[in-house]
Amino acid sequence: MAKLVCIVCPRGCALDITEARDGFHVTGNTCKRGEQFALSEMTRPMRTICSTVRTTLPGVPVIPVRVSGEIPKDRIFDVMAQIKGACLHQAAPRGTVVIRDVLGLNVDVITTSDLETHEKGETCHE
Amino acid sequence: MRTWDVLVIGGGPAGLAAALSAHENGARTLLIEREGKLGGILKQCVHDGFGLVRFQEKLSGPEYAGKFLDRFREAGIEAMTLTFVTRIQKTGLGFHVTIVSRSGVETIGAKALVLATGCRERTAKQVSIHGTRPSGIFTAGTAQHFVNLMGQLPGKKCVILGSGDIGLIMARRMTLEGAQVLGVYEAKSTPSGLTRNIHQCLHDFDIPLYLSHTVTRVFGAERLTGVEISQVDGNMRPIPGTQQLVECDTLILSVGLIPENELAEKLGIPLDPKTKGPCCNAQLMTGVDGVFSCGNALHVNDLVDYVSESGETAGRNAARYSGAPRKEIPIETSSKLLYAVPQRLDLNADNKETVLYFRSREVLGNCRLTISADGREIFSRKYPFLRPPEMERLTIDFSSFGLAENSRITLDIEVNDHG
Amino acid sequence: MNIRIINARLEKRFSGAVHAALQDGALVLTGHLDTWAQTVEACAMAAKKYSTIHVVNDIVCNEVRQQTMRLPTLQDTALEGQKPDVLIIGGGISGASIARELSKWKLNILLVEKEADLALQASGRNDGEVHPGIDLKKGSKKHYYVRKGNAMYDQVCKDLDVPFRRVEQYVCFENRWAKPLIALYCLIRKYRDGISDTEIISGEELRRREPNFREDIRFAISNPSSGCVCPYGLTIAYGENAVQNGAQVSLNTAVLDMQVENGKILSVTTNRGTVYPALVINAAGVFAEEIAAMAGDRFFSIHPRRGTNSILDKKAGAYMTSIASVKEITSNKTHSKGGGILHTVHDNLLVGPDAVETWEKENVETRKESVDAVLAKHKQTMPKLSASDVITYFTGVRAPTFEEDFIIEMGRKTENLIHCAGIQSPGLTTAPAVALDIEKMAVEYLKKQRPVEENPDFNPVRHGIPVLRDMDDESRAAMIRENPDYGVIVCRCEEVSKGEILDALRSPISVPTLDGVKKRVRPGMGRCQGGFCSPIVTQIIADYLGVPVSQVRKSSQGSVITYGQTGPEEGV
Repeated sequence: MAKLVCIVCPRGCALDITEARDGFHVTGNTCKRGEQFALSEMTRPMRTICSTVRTTLPGVPVIPVRVSGEIPKDRIFDVMAQIKGACLHQAAPRGTVVIRDVLGLNVDVITTSDLETHEKGETCHE
Repeated sequence: MRTWDVLVIGGGPAGLAAALSAHENGARTLLIEREGKLGGILKQCVHDGFGLVRFQEKLSGPEYAGKFLDRFREAGIEAMTLTFVTRIQKTGLGFHVTIVSRSGVETIGAKALVLATGCRERTAKQVSIHGTRPSGIFTAGTAQHFVNLMGQLPGKKCVILGSGDIGLIMARRMTLEGAQVLGVYEAKSTPSGLTRNIHQCLHDFDIPLYLSHTVTRVFGAERLTGVEISQVDGNMRPIPGTQQLVECDTLILSVGLIPENELAEKLGIPLDPKTKGPCCNAQLMTGVDGVFSCGNALHVNDLVDYVSESGETAGRNAARYSGAPRKEIPIETSSKLLYAVPQRLDLNADNKETVLYFRSREVLGNCRLTISADGREIFSRKYPFLRPPEMERLTIDFSSFGLAENSRITLDIEVNDHG
Repeated sequence: MNIRIINARLEKRFSGAVHAALQDGALVLTGHLDTWAQTVEACAMAAKKYSTIHVVNDIVCNEVRQQTMRLPTLQDTALEGQKPDVLIIGGGISGASIARELSKWKLNILLVEKEADLALQASGRNDGEVHPGIDLKKGSKKHYYVRKGNAMYDQVCKDLDVPFRRVEQYVCFENRWAKPLIALYCLIRKYRDGISDTEIISGEELRRREPNFREDIRFAISNPSSGCVCPYGLTIAYGENAVQNGAQVSLNTAVLDMQVENGKILSVTTNRGTVYPALVINAAGVFAEEIAAMAGDRFFSIHPRRGTNSILDKKAGAYMTSIASVKEITSNKTHSKGGGILHTVHDNLLVGPDAVETWEKENVETRKESVDAVLAKHKQTMPKLSASDVITYFTGVRAPTFEEDFIIEMGRKTENLIHCAGIQSPGLTTAPAVALDIEKMAVEYLKKQRPVEENPDFNPVRHGIPVLRDMDDESRAAMIRENPDYGVIVCRCEEVSKGEILDALRSPISVPTLDGVKKRVRPGMGRCQGGFCSPIVTQIIADYLGVPVSQVRKSSQGSVITYGQTGPEEGV
């Protein structure tokens, strides 16, 4: 017995989920994606993580990263710990893998911005 | 004096889209950006959710910007970064723009301008937060800059005021970085941000949301030590006697965005008090011929996809700008709408595919948007719901309605039930 | 002064709870009262204007909780053993101007200030008005110094490279019937009291000059010799000029104790060591009484009075160019000082201050009621005033004596002490003139002990940090050619360059904090209040100091900005 607001599209349908012997029943959804979302939320909620990773390049303390696919919601902080421990040491284009198959979850941690070396004095701010 | 056809001021998503579009429409284009790198605010928006409409992908801010930056670089469009516009003068044939950079001071010329100057955050003083003046009080964008660009943790025990998207995003971001977010307080009785953000940023992390509450005072001689929270009434005024003290070391404010239009005002461009951006026609030309507006400077958007779209419209029309006379009629809104953009229609221009953006003033269930011209209804669309934080977009062919010089267009919402 | 009459009045009003007695040339009030308001009333009742016998408040008051002076956390021995000729206690406009005048002499001058910067208390929290003195009567020290000080401002600000503007001050009236009365008042002020620029103008003439002023204003007193200056800018400029001429300024330095023997201060203990000054100048603002007590020379008392000002957007600054207030003619004799509207030297509008008695010397909290009340009051002058134009507000605490006048004199029981106390409005205006008199007193005293020579290298001229946004394009371009950092704009709202920020960090009294930079070159003072630039300024300070970002402070040592890197600990 649960109530959820679907977040797949801006419609935000109010979903009602009941548990029966043959599984979960979802009502209130307007489309199939909503039903899938509800089922996923009840069994194994999945999320993406977006964060930053340290670099040793001068003038670039951190660079944005994300996981390349969804991970289980209950592993968010485990994956964050891995991200916090990582560091980039050279220029790399966006999409570069920083941690491959993080914690065996079948996703990589990838950069989402081009990491470039700067000309000296080019930036005083980003 | 160096001159260009189109000068785009601002290199965030709006400006990038405008510059690309102006260039693709044959204009010699220059983009000016005051920061060291292009991308605007997207550089620090490391979270995803961008581009759902435009690319059907859930991209992070830098990835979304990257798609435009790639095209921008490929096109070889000129850009000047760490360059600041100090003055704009309208001349007979266009504009003289004075810029300051490490190279010095230069005045350049342009036939048309696109103002893509974005917006700024409402400050603590503007929401009457009183008390001492300690460190530890940040607007959400500033806190985001510290975390996502500088890799610094601005706080350990946070209270967030305002349930706008930036506040919700920062609630999650701070939590991911190991800070404790005690709660999000919202003065309105409904949340300001997108529902998916309430879900993914607050519910996921058990961060409580308190509606109809606000921060009235702050404490701390050096660094923040706590905030005073009060309940508020229907007019968002603090109810005496409801104060409580919440101990914390950080207050993050997400209390609204204000379009940046200093340059527009100095040029004498009239602003719409409802949007705080320039009044524009469907070509996004402002009240001053040859000056176009787009992005968050025009009105605060929720989706960057629409920012890019407005940039493209402004850029395309700036490239095509020829000084042709206008014949404009007003597009007005009833009190059921917070605002609509554009605010005017130029009957001399091509309005076959006018993009109209609007926001409802209240949360509404089944309702109908109507557009009337001179008293007769010319368009209507049903909506299952309308929410102020979720701006709507429509494409309308205004050319087919027989509009004339003294016509007036009015937008209204017919409510069938309140949501 | 008739003690019996005073005690009779006190007896009647407070039913024997308060008693006055003459002790050592001071009128000491003792007893027990419930509220601070009562204490202030009792002392004000006993106080006599212009008298050299001052009220000393020893009344025990239930409302007053123990207040300890906020002290810096710094503890070292940097000043230990120093023997300055002059120790100036207090880095506000008084202390800083005195230091500069004294630096005309070959003297070892040490100025100590307990806050992280100069002008952090009253001197940085006022409206910056240079007063004409229209409200001052002959006989007070305030009056004596106000015309002198006012007249000095052009030269002082020119020498110290501090923006200063002469603007009219208008005291406006709505009641036509009051005109003859006010005209008489003006004649007295003009001819008897020497406020020579006073004149009356009609409402029409006023609105010709200030079209946004209210229609109902019938006439106004006009004083064109008024002016506006940045009060903390001037204080810092005075301090820098003093340092350039050989004085020493030690911030984050509080006076904790003194050793006094036989009417002479032998040593002064601070959190940075003990010093042995030949002469001490008490310019300690709200703490002047505490310093006097430490020096064995307490013959006056300070009753703090809080005032709050609001700053409005530069757009609002365009609404008027002068200084103005509407005067209501009532029989209400309470401190009705509600300030006015002032067009600042930075082209903002400043509205305020109000005046609220308080026992708290260092409480500079702002309160919504104050800000709202002050705005509402001054809408009477200019209806266009709007709360939506407010970009910030701040509170300061004045340091008045009960006689409501300055104390500028040698110590009475302690010989090597000069008091510069009880400074409240027009303390900013009078400071240049007061400093000259104190300089005289100081040098005269020191000359009794040993010869005092002039400083042959004294240079009254101090160059401030260049303000590039005010320059013409050619000059600005030339500066950038010399130093490209001047072309990198960091603060968008106030158009402040990286070069100017670095200049502030390298200035003679460097305060490498967000607030120190803000006070000197303005990033963070515009419409976004530092939203965009504060992270960048923080980084610039960190780079300049060669420290991690988390070590940069907003102001004092405890005002942490960030707690460290996200991710692994620093240094790992």
